[in-house]
Amino acid sequence: MTFCSDPRRSSLVVDSVAETDLESPPASTEQGGDHPKVACKQGPKAGKGFNLKALIVEDEPADVDLTLRALRQGGLDAVWNVCQTAEEFTDLVRKNCYDVILADYKLPGWSGMESVEILRREGLDVPVILVSGALGEQTAVECIKQGAADYVLKDHLARLPESVRRAIRETKLREDHKHSQEELARSNQDLEQFAYVASHDLQEPLRMVATFTQLLAERYRGKLDADADKYIHYAVDGALRMQKLVQDLLAFSRVGKQGEARVSTDCNAALKAGLVNLEAAIHESGAVVEHAQLPVVIADGFQLVQVFQNLIGNAIKFRSSEPPLIRVSAQLQGKEWLFSVADNGIGIAAEQTENVFVIFRRLHTHTEYPGNGIGLSICKKIIEQHGGRIWVESQPGHRSTFQFTLPVKPTAKQ
Amino acid sequence: MKTTPEILMVDDNPADIDLTSEVLSQSKKHFHVNAVSDGVEAISFLRRQGKYEAAPRPDLVVLDLNLPHIDGCEVLSNIKSDPALARIPVVIFTTSQADSDISRSYQLGANCYLKKPGNLAEFVAVVQSMAEFWLRFASLPQREKR
Repeated sequence: MTFCSDPRRSSLVVDSVAETDLESPPASTEQGGDHPKVACKQGPKAGKGFNLKALIVEDEPADVDLTLRALRQGGLDAVWNVCQTAEEFTDLVRKNCYDVILADYKLPGWSGMESVEILRREGLDVPVILVSGALGEQTAVECIKQGAADYVLKDHLARLPESVRRAIRETKLREDHKHSQEELARSNQDLEQFAYVASHDLQEPLRMVATFTQLLAERYRGKLDADADKYIHYAVDGALRMQKLVQDLLAFSRVGKQGEARVSTDCNAALKAGLVNLEAAIHESGAVVEHAQLPVVIADGFQLVQVFQNLIGNAIKFRSSEPPLIRVSAQLQGKEWLFSVADNGIGIAAEQTENVFVIFRRLHTHTEYPGNGIGLSICKKIIEQHGGRIWVESQPGHRSTFQFTLPVKPTAKQ
Repeated sequence: MKTTPEILMVDDNPADIDLTSEVLSQSKKHFHVNAVSDGVEAISFLRRQGKYEAAPRPDLVVLDLNLPHIDGCEVLSNIKSDPALARIPVVIFTTSQADSDISRSYQLGANCYLKKPGNLAEFVAVVQSMAEFWLRFASLPQREKR
């Protein structure tokens, strides 16, 4: 088995040792310097060239020896530092990159558990294994709850190597997970930035195409031949559609980029503002919008208006032969508000209920229902950024009910 | 005696200059459009330097923001900090919709900020109403004698 096969980690170890060499006077440790000591000669089993880098927090030299011997017997070659005080500990973890901390639970003046606290404060994810002469079960459980990776009794040091291996494995998994999360966040951000720049910079040349094809249409309509008129019309139509797409893309990317502060927002007011914006469509379709008392949530009010407006706008747009009847309600479910926007429209086929939230995904032709397929993707992005979920249930031909959740207590902004 | 209003249009996009001149040439009132394509030229024109020695003093400046060499905001601040030029109304006419550009322009003393519309009908409407408003309805300080 190999440990820390991640090359990043190994090189960090080397770097931090080099930095220590250059920048700082030797810290006072029992061994008289903060260069990690090589515990043993490279045995035949240590063929991968990996040395476990350990920090041993221990005031008893004999126990240090026992610990090292246990590691060696378990096939782990270690380079190590020893420290006794919290100050030394802090100094060493800042300068070096350890794979594991082996800390005595009881030390003069402080406790091995404090090292967990120090690491947390320093933002370091290094597993701490408590090595102790006697540790009651309750204390042990408490220590693990507080963040220790494991505990090993001094009487059972043979367990130590396996405990170290497991702690390192778990830390590596955690690191990998964090790393991929960060990658994902970065790539999402890149994509957003790309969408923003692309849509922003596309607008200018597109404006030229739209304006001047329109000028051609106006000035030369009926003066060339019928084909020319038709072709110019295609060009104008294409340019205008693309302008709308680019504007929508820009609007979509802006949901992530800017966003007002999250403040106490009355959903009743947000809904009303959305309805005002939809006045023409409501009037023209004879839609009736009923709503129950809605809660106050912590949200970006402008974005919430957008959500209500898009959902109700869709309910009106995709109406059946009946006049639209739309009901908006909210109820408390555990730690979330569950909002519901129900209509009596044409509904959505079961296999399409996820697709409707995908950007630019449309289920109908432009002639049946105009639009770019941006509204619901914006709703989804807004709701998810607020820590909620959105979905739709539908009975095709009869009704759709869009539901979304918002946390009662807002989560950290992503 | 009434004279033809002089407009100075500062824009590096020849298509916008053509289109604006075209729209103005079709309005009932007659305007004279002078066009320059960058900020340095604009300042020379306004200060009547070099080849612009005989340039007329504009009644209205129509200024784009994204310009080569000296950008629109710098031209604007030059105009508004020069007592000889400060009273000339400056209309910012640009594609930028950024709040930062809008507030900075007004901060620097722009008289109006207009976004270039994306389609012909609106473009015509905006240019016509801009010229009408500033050169027909608005009362402006007398042009100085040459």
